[in-house]
Amino acid sequence: METVWTNLPVLAGTVVNKMDSMDHLLLILLAAIAAFIPRYIPMLFFSTREIPDWFNEWMKYVPVSLFTALVAKGIFVSSSYGFSGLGHVNYIIAGLVVIVVTYMTRSMALSVIAGLAAVFVVTIFL
Amino acid sequence: MVLKTSMPLCLSYIPIGLACGILLHAAGFNFIMTLLVSIVVFSGGAQFLIASMLTINAPILSIVVTLFFLELRYALLGSSMSRYLKGESQRFIWLFSVSLNDENYAINYLKFATDKNWQPRQALMVEHYSLLSWSLANLVGSLIGSALTIDLEIVDFALTALFLYMIVMQIRNRLTFLISALSLVLSVFFLVLTKSTIGLIISTLLASFVGFMLEAHVRKHYKHISQHWLFGKIKGPALTRKTVEDKDNDS
Repeated sequence: METVWTNLPVLAGTVVNKMDSMDHLLLILLAAIAAFIPRYIPMLFFSTREIPDWFNEWMKYVPVSLFTALVAKGIFVSSSYGFSGLGHVNYIIAGLVVIVVTYMTRSMALSVIAGLAAVFVVTIFL
Repeated sequence: MVLKTSMPLCLSYIPIGLACGILLHAAGFNFIMTLLVSIVVFSGGAQFLIASMLTINAPILSIVVTLFFLELRYALLGSSMSRYLKGESQRFIWLFSVSLNDENYAINYLKFATDKNWQPRQALMVEHYSLLSWSLANLVGSLIGSALTIDLEIVDFALTALFLYMIVMQIRNRLTFLISALSLVLSVFFLVLTKSTIGLIISTLLASFVGFMLEAHVRKHYKHISQHWLFGKIKGPALTRKTVEDKDNDS
């Protein structure tokens, strides 16, 4: 889903960072608040009120749209938010494998494992 | 039953959580901080973002603002989930939203939509199991830290695969399929246009709104919406009407 971090140096010690643990703690606190507000406020608002039908009808299409958008971001959009087109052929092929396996088996575990295996194999051979 | 439902998610969190822990370690977090952030933020995308922005020495405030925009999509998830949580106590809503994230939402939404006996309590259990597996994987990743290098290309795909599974499971008629295709085009367009995850929110709102308008239009003109081409069923292979997990539960 996030591709920004593919550019990261993975080995520890390759990063020079000036923050100490107190800075980290402050960052975590603020991050927790930033993560909490969007989760909590709408849920509190809509679960304590009478929700109009049209809103529910609209929200019905949110999951499929959002998941597709997340997949599109993972496969077709680069870390710098450019269109990567067919740049991630390994992801595209593995994605097709996941779709077929899901369609045939309807098992989440099998689908994810098959997808990871496919991306592993395709990455080696490309 | 709840554990069985959560198990695939918990298992797929292990490699991603390990990767996340390793990255946060590389970005300078000690293991306590990594454990803490994995519990209070509990979002793979957000934690990877923190790690990546720390490595470029971004100021705290700009990390938090970027993170807020990334997390805004949960407003949509929360709104669409709330109709299944009507009548729950304030404390329950608080507990539920604190440990909500993309993946356990996907599982719970599917359960609420297909299983009439699925209870909010069980949904909360799914969240807690996934939180447990996620934070433990983060902790272990942080502790092994530099001792292990991982192929991020492959790990990155685990979540994409999970979402693809969710999409395929949601597509029951032609309209849903069209909305998914529309969302694909719109999201790429708006992500590239806005250069931020705001593009996700704009495209989701637009695509779901088109779905809502089309359905409302068909409802107005047809007595039974199933007669319309858009609502024709897309069938899976006959043997697979139920998930493998469901079949296990039956037998």
